[in-house]
Amino acid sequence: MSTVELRGLRRTFGSVVALDRLDLDVHSGEFVSLLGPSGCGKTTALRIIAGFDWPDSGEVVVDGHDVLGLPANKRNMGMVFQAYSLFPNMTAQQNVEFGLRIRKQNHEARARRARELLDLVGLASAMSRYPRQMSGGQQQRVALARSLAIEPKVLLLDEPLSALDAKVRVQLREEVRRIQLELGITTLYVTHDQEEALSISDRVAVMSAGRLEQLGTPAQIYNGPRTSFVANFVGTMNKLEGVVISSEDRVVRCGPLTVTVPDPSFRHSVGETVELYVRPEDVRLELLSNGASPRAGSFEGRVTSLTFLGPVTRVGLQTDLGPLLSDVSSAVALNLAADTPVSVGLETDALRSLVSSTTTPDSSSSDSSPTALLS
Amino acid sequence: MAQVSTASAAPASHRLRRARSRVPLWHVLWLVLAAIFFLLPIYSVVRFSLEGILPGQGIFHWYQTVFDDPNFRSSFWLSVQISLETVAVSLVLMVPTVFWIHLRLPRLRPVMDLITILPFVVPPIVLIVGLAPYIEKFSWLAVRPEVLAFIYVVFALPFLYRALDGGLRAIDLKTLVEAAESLGSSIPGTLFRVILPNLRAAIIGGSLLTVAICMGEYTVASLLGFFTFPNYTYEIGTSTAYEGVALTFISFILVWAMMLALYLLGRGGRAAAGVAIRE
Repeated sequence: MSTVELRGLRRTFGSVVALDRLDLDVHSGEFVSLLGPSGCGKTTALRIIAGFDWPDSGEVVVDGHDVLGLPANKRNMGMVFQAYSLFPNMTAQQNVEFGLRIRKQNHEARARRARELLDLVGLASAMSRYPRQMSGGQQQRVALARSLAIEPKVLLLDEPLSALDAKVRVQLREEVRRIQLELGITTLYVTHDQEEALSISDRVAVMSAGRLEQLGTPAQIYNGPRTSFVANFVGTMNKLEGVVISSEDRVVRCGPLTVTVPDPSFRHSVGETVELYVRPEDVRLELLSNGASPRAGSFEGRVTSLTFLGPVTRVGLQTDLGPLLSDVSSAVALNLAADTPVSVGLETDALRSLVSSTTTPDSSSSDSSPTALLS
Repeated sequence: MAQVSTASAAPASHRLRRARSRVPLWHVLWLVLAAIFFLLPIYSVVRFSLEGILPGQGIFHWYQTVFDDPNFRSSFWLSVQISLETVAVSLVLMVPTVFWIHLRLPRLRPVMDLITILPFVVPPIVLIVGLAPYIEKFSWLAVRPEVLAFIYVVFALPFLYRALDGGLRAIDLKTLVEAAESLGSSIPGTLFRVILPNLRAAIIGGSLLTVAICMGEYTVASLLGFFTFPNYTYEIGTSTAYEGVALTFISFILVWAMMLALYLLGRGGRAAAGVAIRE
């Protein structure tokens, strides 16, 4: 098992900065996902580690040695690509054996290893099939087995599931994680799919404009985003504007509501306008009977839209604080319709004041709905 | 109710099948016209090659005459030899070049497109005039038929380049090369182990076109004084009509044989880049 350290990686393409002094440590046996929108530099970082690209400056250190001087075929890193990359003229078994043939292993040892690995990815029965005779999911499984056959120091996966349909993607990402845990191989996984990254990683590195925005466990990334970019890219956030009325006690007035921000790093002076963020699942709704007033600490809103998401329904609201989103149980949402008056409350413990990023997530590349940003 | 619907469904499906399998009349007509267009000249050639035979001579007399002529065999084998040399030189030059341009220098592709069109626009006679000073200087080389192979490489360039270009466009070259590299393969190793097997159909197609050009090239061989197959064909055609026509038909057969070889060899190399089927 190996460690990977990226130190001050910088890569430019003309005037475009793909990587801007990227630092990242991947521990031995760890599964780290590089998550970010298209063009954030995650694939560039992976290609530099693999040896298919070179940085303008910086270091790639594997097990304490800078590997930038080594060509790709000497780095011993397994890679699974986004595009189907099986050699069309070879069967699944021959594909898996390819790296072992280069290493001049004898026929029996190669065949045994290929059988083991194809069994590991659940394709023992497809050993003699050619790529054209396999589905996309099967091809990516064989590609994974092929990359593992050489016992790589590091496994690199560049959006390997993005060409597959949703159901196969979920199934295969679980298999990737199972195999990684079983082999304990240090793994870097590039994806723009936040759900994928959060569900299978030990740690997630959220990237934007060539920089690392935040590195943490999936729970830390989701529950404790440090920047507005991370908050908006990972999941959906409501944005509220407020005015600080007590700096010491971190009290902010947002329209009809006065809230205490739980974040101890909150440093703003009185009278300053601040942005607060709260996730839709932390916005509570209660039906208001005709003429009734919202209870203390809540405010009135009206339903503007209902989006069924399975177990929960996302409710669009028009309130005195502006438009808000709230996730409620789909069973509860059966009682709601457009223009229904509701009492809206916020889980004040979940309110966050975040550092603004210089970049905003590209909604086209995130899984968030177009209403994710309510600014 | 169910019986009624089953009974009416069966004839309907029959009708549907019949309608599907019925070939429209104008399709057949078109096919017959095309067949006449292609087969009539061949029929005429065969017919003519079986005429003019004196009593006591066999029906395939003119064919026998051609095969008995030592010039037929020598000129044919000379052309085959030059063709194979041309194919070998062309492949050695072009395969690594086109591979490298696709992989690392894609911006040069338009330049290559332009360069490879030149043999179309420069007539062979102009090429020979251009080569004349060199042929004079290296007269020892100009007397060897191998010199034709190097000249024919230029003529074959557009055809071989386009065949290879098409073959490389059909595969995801960059991903395949990077996948092989990540598994420890060097670039030359990747070219031989991965890329060439996937270019088999393109290489065979380009090679066959090269062979066809070499087997039919008359001007340069004639100017340089080599007695190749086209020169022999011309000579026979101008002296003995029946024998010349028989020779023409033999040429047809040889070309067909080569096309069949292409089909049989290409069939094994049709492992085109992974077309996924849905799970």
